[in-house]
Amino acid sequence: MSMILFSLLLGTPIAGSILCALFHKRRVLEIITVTSSGLTFLSAFWLMAKVMQETTLHSPQGWWYADGLSAYIIIIVSGSAFVVALYSIGYLRRQIYKRKVDAPKLWLYYLLLNIFLFTMMLVLLSNNLGFLWIGSEATTLATAFLVAFYERESSIEAAWKYVVICSVGITLALFGIILTYFSALHVVPASGNALHWSSLMLVAKELDPAVLKLAFIFILIGFGTKAGLAPMHTWKPDAYGEAPAPISALMAAGLVNVALYSLMRFYILVDKAVGGGFASTLFIIFGLMSMGVAVPFILLQRDFKRLLAYSSVEHVGIIVFALGIGTPLAYFGALLHLLNNAIAKILLFLTAGNVRMAYGSRIMHKVTGAIKVIPASATLLILGVFAITGWPPFGIFVSEFTIISAGFTSGNIVPAILFVGFITTIFVGFIYYTSRMVLGEPHRPVKGSDADSASLLLLGLLLGALLMLGVFIPSQLQQCIQNAVNVLKG
Amino acid sequence: MNDTFEMILASAFQLFLVLASAPLISGIIKKTKARFQRRRGASVVQPYFDLAKLLRKEVVVSPVASWLFRITPYLVFASTLVIALLVPTVVTPVPLHWIGDIITVIYLFALGRFFVALVGLDTGSAFGGLGSSREMSIASIIEPAMMLAIFTAAVTAGSTNLSIIVARLSSTPVAMLNPAHLLAFSGLFIVTIAETGRVPVDNPATHLELTMIHEAMILEYSGRYLALIEWASQMKLMVFLALLSNMFFPVGIATTWSPWALLVGSAAFFCKIIVLAVIVAVVESTNAKLRLFRVPEFLMVAFILSFLALILFFIIGA
Amino acid sequence: MGIIHLSTIGLLIDIFAAAILVTAVLIVSSRSLVFYIRLFALQSFFLGAVALLVVLGYGETHILIAAFLTIAVKAIAIPMVLTRVIERIQVRKEIEFSINITASLLLCAGMVILSDSVAQSILSSQHGDAPAVSRVLSVSIAMMLIGLFIMMTRKKALTQIIGLLTMENGVFLSGLSITYGMPLIVEVGIFFDIMIAVLILGVFVFRINKTFETISIDSLRSLRH
Repeated sequence: MSMILFSLLLGTPIAGSILCALFHKRRVLEIITVTSSGLTFLSAFWLMAKVMQETTLHSPQGWWYADGLSAYIIIIVSGSAFVVALYSIGYLRRQIYKRKVDAPKLWLYYLLLNIFLFTMMLVLLSNNLGFLWIGSEATTLATAFLVAFYERESSIEAAWKYVVICSVGITLALFGIILTYFSALHVVPASGNALHWSSLMLVAKELDPAVLKLAFIFILIGFGTKAGLAPMHTWKPDAYGEAPAPISALMAAGLVNVALYSLMRFYILVDKAVGGGFASTLFIIFGLMSMGVAVPFILLQRDFKRLLAYSSVEHVGIIVFALGIGTPLAYFGALLHLLNNAIAKILLFLTAGNVRMAYGSRIMHKVTGAIKVIPASATLLILGVFAITGWPPFGIFVSEFTIISAGFTSGNIVPAILFVGFITTIFVGFIYYTSRMVLGEPHRPVKGSDADSASLLLLGLLLGALLMLGVFIPSQLQQCIQNAVNVLKG
Repeated sequence: MNDTFEMILASAFQLFLVLASAPLISGIIKKTKARFQRRRGASVVQPYFDLAKLLRKEVVVSPVASWLFRITPYLVFASTLVIALLVPTVVTPVPLHWIGDIITVIYLFALGRFFVALVGLDTGSAFGGLGSSREMSIASIIEPAMMLAIFTAAVTAGSTNLSIIVARLSSTPVAMLNPAHLLAFSGLFIVTIAETGRVPVDNPATHLELTMIHEAMILEYSGRYLALIEWASQMKLMVFLALLSNMFFPVGIATTWSPWALLVGSAAFFCKIIVLAVIVAVVESTNAKLRLFRVPEFLMVAFILSFLALILFFIIGA
Repeated sequence: MGIIHLSTIGLLIDIFAAAILVTAVLIVSSRSLVFYIRLFALQSFFLGAVALLVVLGYGETHILIAAFLTIAVKAIAIPMVLTRVIERIQVRKEIEFSINITASLLLCAGMVILSDSVAQSILSSQHGDAPAVSRVLSVSIAMMLIGLFIMMTRKKALTQIIGLLTMENGVFLSGLSITYGMPLIVEVGIFFDIMIAVLILGVFVFRINKTFETISIDSLRSLRH
């Protein structure tokens, strides 16, 4: 039974990729992509239902695995992919109209988008740590050409940095995985299972703590690079800035969560095996460092998409920080934040894409008076910025508040204070820039127009979701998150 | 009495061996290089005739030169002879092995180099000073490399006495293939090339200002002084080759003074030396001389190889 | 496989591992791009040889395919691809450094010592039998560090690829040394990933050359903050 689900979740994106490879007509590609991502999204819900019933799902050989944590993240990631796929239709049509993109490029886009989704599913469903690694590197490779999509000088530079830095990180992570495998070989009965996370969790206490500590450091650096944790985040602003808006959105909402998932899996394992707050302390330090690093770059920024990229670095820091705090309340906050951040990022990146298309530039001081030129997107933008900086009544406020209270109640007073300080400073910077962009009069006559109403509606729905999450959390959602928290507790 | 007499005889034998065959080895190298250049080349015994000719010739000394100028050829010749006495060639242990060990050998080489460098300055010619400064800067990198390479062999055998190193190594053949050993060998090989002034570090056949190092220092020498210095460099080359072959691959070396062992030992020794000499000639023929400022990089590689050898010895174990 | 046989296998593995380290050091000491690629091919060949020796000596047949892949892909195919790339784009084949060769070599020596202590700390905590090949672990960690060093201090785009591949070789060697390699399907997947990464980076090198005049990393500085 579980094999059907696994096959569905993995097979649909593969089927989508193969079909995209075969057909080249725009309509067909759009339909294929939306259907495959939609089906994956639906299957994710089915997976969640099954997991609620049976707690964990295994495939016969033990390669694939799902529990509350992975099911939750799979929903978020596949949902993001679905939204992005829908939005891409309108986005690419506009680009074609403007002659920025031609038919072969369009085909490449959809093909890579499907492959991207597959690689993310690969990571999220793997029980085998080797597959986890292969999938992670594959996500970098699948997005490489997407980042370089527009083939400007800066795009290629960004894509180069992206591939090189992430591959270096991932290679270090591979060493960490080998060390983990090494420590497991002596303890796990069948050596074929020594790479399986579920088997490792069973024997966690018997694994060598010294080796595992070293392994965790390598893994933190490696997967942290993928997630964009400081100080390995340097590829993020370039890559997010240069990629097409929907791709940046999917990277900020999907890839980030996939990388965080890998970190979480190892965190659970190492915390159980080593204990003593080793992993937690590292997480708190790196989390705060990411938030701290983001502050000056957000305050002194010229390019809007890079601003959002640094915001992504900040929020990854928040999630990692919360995971480091380690109380159930903190875990709840972290997981809720995962969802809120994903929705907000998609909203913001897509809206930023509209602004850019209308004004022809990403430089913030060139964009003014957006409210007059593209009223819908401008409103979405300013509201989205309020959301992402933690303003009530939006969802992020709730998750950040949860994390702060978890910080204070668990005795991590100083870190929590730093946390609040960083968030506030970032809020100031964001609001300053965005209000200048949105309000006032346009400097010079701007010819651009807004996105089509279907896309705008989609964005409105995202905003609505954020609003809803800020006001109340449906009990179903609470259950899902609680399930995931139980997994995190180990 | 008998003992001392045997010792003198044995030492004389060793000395005579090195003295007599050094020019031959040099001749072999020159011949091989000539062949590479598609020339017939001079015969392999030509260096003997050259030395004889030089000995007969008149000595011309610069008026500015001091006593250093006249003393140095004898000093260099003598120190090289002492080294020849210490390095195991056909037999190990060498009769006078208690005089000194590796460190003595290194310092004896340094002694020779020091005086030749001074002489380069002594004559007051610009070329001499040029050669001396170049030689000294090369030496500053080569010395540590040489020491590290030789120390690796010493640490493996547990002693710095050359004869003991060779003896211990010849009794455990497997140790010869130890990666640390092989690395030390390659390091020492590069050192040999640099110390004896061969391409790619220095061209022994050139007298162009741009390219000469060793030749520059001894440019002013003539007649018997030149003969002694030439002979000393040939012996130096031979000693280095002997070090390379016997410290790292002492196959077939004689451990007693029986005639049969001596025969086998001599055959093995000369085979190895000739092979190494040909290798040196090949290296010289297939590489271009390095530009002077690139030489330190090249020597650094030798240093690193020797250094790695020592580290690997401690990591991987003997 | 008698004990004597095992010790010769062990000796051969030691020799090849030392040779691999030497190629990495020689890469650092070299100025020519072509030499870099050739040394890398040699390095991968030695690595494949080590893998084959592990198969012969310890009977871990699942590495056989990984060994052949190493030789076929990393020692032959990738160097061929990279050489083609160099021929197609007109690039000056001299490499520029941000740290000169002499200092780089000294740093490499330091890295070898560092990696030795890391390897000791990994292995000492493992009570019981560490496989004989574990002595090679220090070499593999050194390779990872040297690969990283090459990427950070040499300014050509192609050298970054080689540095990355050297790191990869180091990780593979470490896997061989302490775990006799990971399950076959994982190793194959890893290879696949690496090949595609090299191809993608190769395509980028072409594009970089088309848009910039050189493939020096220095010119990739336009994106600042």
